[in-house]
Amino acid sequence: MDKILALENIHFRYSQDDPVVLTDLSLDIPAGKITAILGPNGTGKTTLLHILLGLLKPFEGEVKVSGKSHREYSKRDLSQMIGLVPQFESIPFNFSVFEYVLLGRSPYLKPFQLPGEEDVRITDSALEAAGISHLSEKPVTEISGGERQLVHISRVLAQQTRILLLDEPTAHLDLENQNRILKLLKRMSSEGITAVMTTHDPNAAIFAANHFVLMNQGNIAAQGDLSQVITAENLSLIYRTPIRVEQTNGYTMVVMDNS
Amino acid sequence: MRKKEFSRIFGLLGLGILILLLGSVFIGRYPEPYWMPPGLLSKDQLARQLVLNLRLPRLLTAFLLGMILSATGAVLQMIFRNPLVEPGFLGVSQGAAFGAAVSILWLHRHPLVIELSATFFGLLALITSYLLSTRIRYGGWVLRLILSGVAVSALFSAGVGVLKYIADPLTELPELTFWLLGGLYSVTWRDLLFVLPFALTGIVVVYAMRWRVNLLSLNDDAAFSLGASLTRERVILLLVTISATAALTAISGVIGWVGLIIPHISRRLFGASAEKSIPAAMLLGGGFTVIADDLARTLLAGEIPLGILTSAIGAGLFIYLMISMGIKVRRDG
Repeated sequence: MDKILALENIHFRYSQDDPVVLTDLSLDIPAGKITAILGPNGTGKTTLLHILLGLLKPFEGEVKVSGKSHREYSKRDLSQMIGLVPQFESIPFNFSVFEYVLLGRSPYLKPFQLPGEEDVRITDSALEAAGISHLSEKPVTEISGGERQLVHISRVLAQQTRILLLDEPTAHLDLENQNRILKLLKRMSSEGITAVMTTHDPNAAIFAANHFVLMNQGNIAAQGDLSQVITAENLSLIYRTPIRVEQTNGYTMVVMDNS
Repeated sequence: MRKKEFSRIFGLLGLGILILLLGSVFIGRYPEPYWMPPGLLSKDQLARQLVLNLRLPRLLTAFLLGMILSATGAVLQMIFRNPLVEPGFLGVSQGAAFGAAVSILWLHRHPLVIELSATFFGLLALITSYLLSTRIRYGGWVLRLILSGVAVSALFSAGVGVLKYIADPLTELPELTFWLLGGLYSVTWRDLLFVLPFALTGIVVVYAMRWRVNLLSLNDDAAFSLGASLTRERVILLLVTISATAALTAISGVIGWVGLIIPHISRRLFGASAEKSIPAAMLLGGGFTVIADDLARTLLAGEIPLGILTSAIGAGLFIYLMISMGIKVRRDG
């Protein structure tokens, strides 16, 4: 497996007084695939993404990008390699969709530089790739939740990173918008982008991902492909509720066991 | 609004402000109310003296004051992600007012001493707010700073109240009260030179970093992923804007509402991106304060305190914007 991101023996807590969130966690993220990190609420999925991003520093262990430690990269290098679609982004000001997506070009600008013609062109392409060119001049605060998620993805498309971290990208979205987002993600993956998405919805993970990680109480319970990880036994154990995994017309589906 | 359209409108705005500045030189109550014919400058020695030594430094200070208050308001609203923040919210205005009061009562009433004391206490309020915020054990950094700013502001405000209470009602209290109401009636070239380094540093740094201000208005994780150095960039922007505000407040007194309302108007006209809204806010704020100061020295035979006029016009505009244009102050989810 060609691993592009790796966590080695990570220990993390927010401060000395707080409880440990991640304990001796090791994880490899394969290049060019969509990795889904599954687990119940509060198990440390967002913390894990923030450590991969470099926003949080583990107090023990090493984060590696393409075989080199995070510390060997400058902030600018990292922001040109790893992009983030946050779980929730409150936007108190009326940026237009175009202005908001243009912010994705920031890692390529010098400290006092403004975006130029090339940045505008790349931003327009990112909007087109996400199918939201028609929203370009609309205020970000006046579009739907699904459209806003597409705007966030457009911003990382404009950022042109090889690695994409997505924190619960389909949470709070209806089925149509979940489908749009996950299909876009699969298309990006087919073009060589490595994606890591957290989710607590196993069916969304099965729809999009080809590598699975199950988290439980701050550590990895299982990792591998669909058949290795998405089993009734694993899911029932970590979600603490009876769960069945069914095959319907060749599709795997996770359902709560009602019997 | 894309770049070409903005450049055209911004150019027109700049031209309008230039005409306003030139026209304001001749607005006043000499030789008679409202307007001095420009031809008088070549004939009347007193008119020349008035324009060169009083109106010009006053006009330029009003313009700088408006630019700085608006730039500071725009930057703070964006980096604190709160459209209701204004330049004095970290205790700076009340700190500077306390400093001026201390000087009037106990140190010296020389303008330079008042200015130095006001600047010192304005910055002291800022530092106290910051240090206090690092000791608060809950909430994010925005909430901690806002809470500590409110507390420090209230402390200095109480201090000003005590000083007013003990001030001599015949000699000290009128001067103190007039200073607190705000005004540029006593500004000289020396005052302008005193604030110029602070003001220019603030304007240049904010203008140069306006794209970074956009990044800092995002959630921490998003801003970080786009390459922002969150702490360093916030500290630089806070330092230059608040110290410029403190220095200008030291010579103008407390001038309210400019830093709150002008960034709103600028964002409504030019869009939310700080790339355009911050330079526009600087020009609009400068123009607004110059107009308010024109009215302050012209409307009545006696000077109307500038702070009263900016508050009255600012609050009126705010109400108009809220009712007629649906100004957005909600925290969007």
